[in-house]
Amino acid sequence: MASCRRLSGAGLREVLGPAQGLLFDCDGVLWAGERAVPGAPELLERLRRSGKAALFVSNNSRRSVAELERRFTRLGFRGVRAEHVFSSALCSALFLRQRLLGGGGNGSGAGRVFVLGGEGLRGEVRDAGLRLAGEGEPAPGEPVRAVLVGYDDQFTFAKLAQACGYLRDPQCLLVATDPDPWHPLSDGQRTPGTGSLTAAVETASGRKALVVGKPNTYMFDCIVERFGVDPSRTLMVGDRLETDILFGKNCGLATILTLTGVSRLEEAQAYMASDSAAAKDLVPNYYVDSIADLIPGLDE
Amino acid sequence: MAAGGPRRCRRLEGETARAVLANADTLLFDCDGVLWRGEAAVSGAAETLGRLAAAGKRLCYVTNNSGRTRLAYTEKLRRLGFPPAEPRHIFSSAFCAARYLRQALPPGAAAYVLGSPALAAELEAVGIPHLGTGPAALPGPAPKDWVQAPLDPAVRAVLVGFDEHFSYAKLCQALRYLLRGGPDCLLVGTNRDHRLPLEGGAGIPGTGCLVKAVETAAQREAFIVGKPNRFMFDCVAGEFQVDPARTIMVGDRLDTDILMGNDCGLTTLLTLTGVTALDEVRGHQDSGCPARHSLVPDFYVDSIADLLPLLGE
Repeated sequence: MASCRRLSGAGLREVLGPAQGLLFDCDGVLWAGERAVPGAPELLERLRRSGKAALFVSNNSRRSVAELERRFTRLGFRGVRAEHVFSSALCSALFLRQRLLGGGGNGSGAGRVFVLGGEGLRGEVRDAGLRLAGEGEPAPGEPVRAVLVGYDDQFTFAKLAQACGYLRDPQCLLVATDPDPWHPLSDGQRTPGTGSLTAAVETASGRKALVVGKPNTYMFDCIVERFGVDPSRTLMVGDRLETDILFGKNCGLATILTLTGVSRLEEAQAYMASDSAAAKDLVPNYYVDSIADLIPGLDE
Repeated sequence: MAAGGPRRCRRLEGETARAVLANADTLLFDCDGVLWRGEAAVSGAAETLGRLAAAGKRLCYVTNNSGRTRLAYTEKLRRLGFPPAEPRHIFSSAFCAARYLRQALPPGAAAYVLGSPALAAELEAVGIPHLGTGPAALPGPAPKDWVQAPLDPAVRAVLVGFDEHFSYAKLCQALRYLLRGGPDCLLVGTNRDHRLPLEGGAGIPGTGCLVKAVETAAQREAFIVGKPNRFMFDCVAGEFQVDPARTIMVGDRLDTDILMGNDCGLTTLLTLTGVTALDEVRGHQDSGCPARHSLVPDFYVDSIADLLPLLGE
């Protein structure tokens, strides 16, 4: 079992030295709301200079990767390109493309996707070559072949009923971008997450959703396909035990919990003390107060 | 109730049926799928209940539906030809939720309600201030605007019922009240039915979906007023002198009507005019699981109209 050790001093060099790359969650790790975590941009710069890869894996399904690239720049991070960013919006679109379009080809005959989500998510699905329900004239033989539940701040009872209508067809997939029940706001309040909307759709339809986001491993498959990372030389850095740390464990990555976000150290320690095998998978290998603490572990 | 042993889901007919009816003073009826489907009465149901009433049986109506007031139920019963009922015979999850909150909340405490005008009316009838029904009335188009809206300091409960105006904005508000109050803010749901059947086999999402959304966002479990929770039977028993051993629960759903009836020590009668098919019952009977045995009724009929020949003119 992982031992939730504070990473500092010599330990820092031992762990970071051999690593070829780091996967970072974004919210609560690199930034909180509109403010970068102090030292985070410098850390990424130092990683670049050390020749280590930095890739980003986020359950947030609101933004397209193009929007995320602009956000990185706006918050002071240099050199992050859209191709480095794996959001649940992008990966859900890739997943649906695989399942509905198979090996390739264009969108015709593949059926349409009913998306519960905002324009960022909808754009990623379109960019993957899929057609959305409710847009344009449906061609004959273009049934709705998937319902995709994402973060939808315009979710309504009517949309829930519409989704259930499509899901009466057992061939229609039910996919969710991520399982997160809530997200923190910078003032300590919380906003409902995709997980709460997915629970409504699952209950109404009697179906279980295929969840693309962390802690499930599909997003790691997307990363490996594009960049070919070696799990044994890659570290996962996140702030949420139930998603980021479990994701790391599921993908065979060593994990670092940063305390600038959702999870508290006491929660990790409670999981460590638990008798349940499932709880032990939520214990990170290491923790830091902030990712800025990783800087001394890198060469000058 | 069948004395001892597992319940056998026998067809209710002949001499057994006469004895069971003779031994009952009170019959509790679920409505949807038992007495009617949508606006269409089950054929022969009204006449059957008429004869039961004429035979001196007390008839009560116990429904998880939170979308109508008790008065509206009495009107629907009258409209479909059932024997006259007074509001006091109707136990809807809306009425019972209001009763529950009146017991559980301190005086003057208010409820934030995801629910229908009927649910609001039941709260008003017991003097509980409420807010939230209808479309969300929040400033601005986005969550960052909504979380700035002031919270009402009197709210000490979030109540979730059937709400056709359910939206992310309302879910957001419910979550804010629950986080502000912690354990001092109650989370109550009228029922967990996941589907509301309509005529012709169609259906719409039920209250259970909305309850699950709130529970997931808040990471806590709601207290559910409706069947199979025994609270609704306790409301009946509070209004009338009922002896469980002389009471029959008639329903079409195993995991609500029959489970509540069994848990409360009533005789349970399944009718097949609703959502349940007989082979579902056999599946539970044949399972090795005690929890599933609680879903098995004492008796079944194809329709409650099957009881007509047993009841004199």
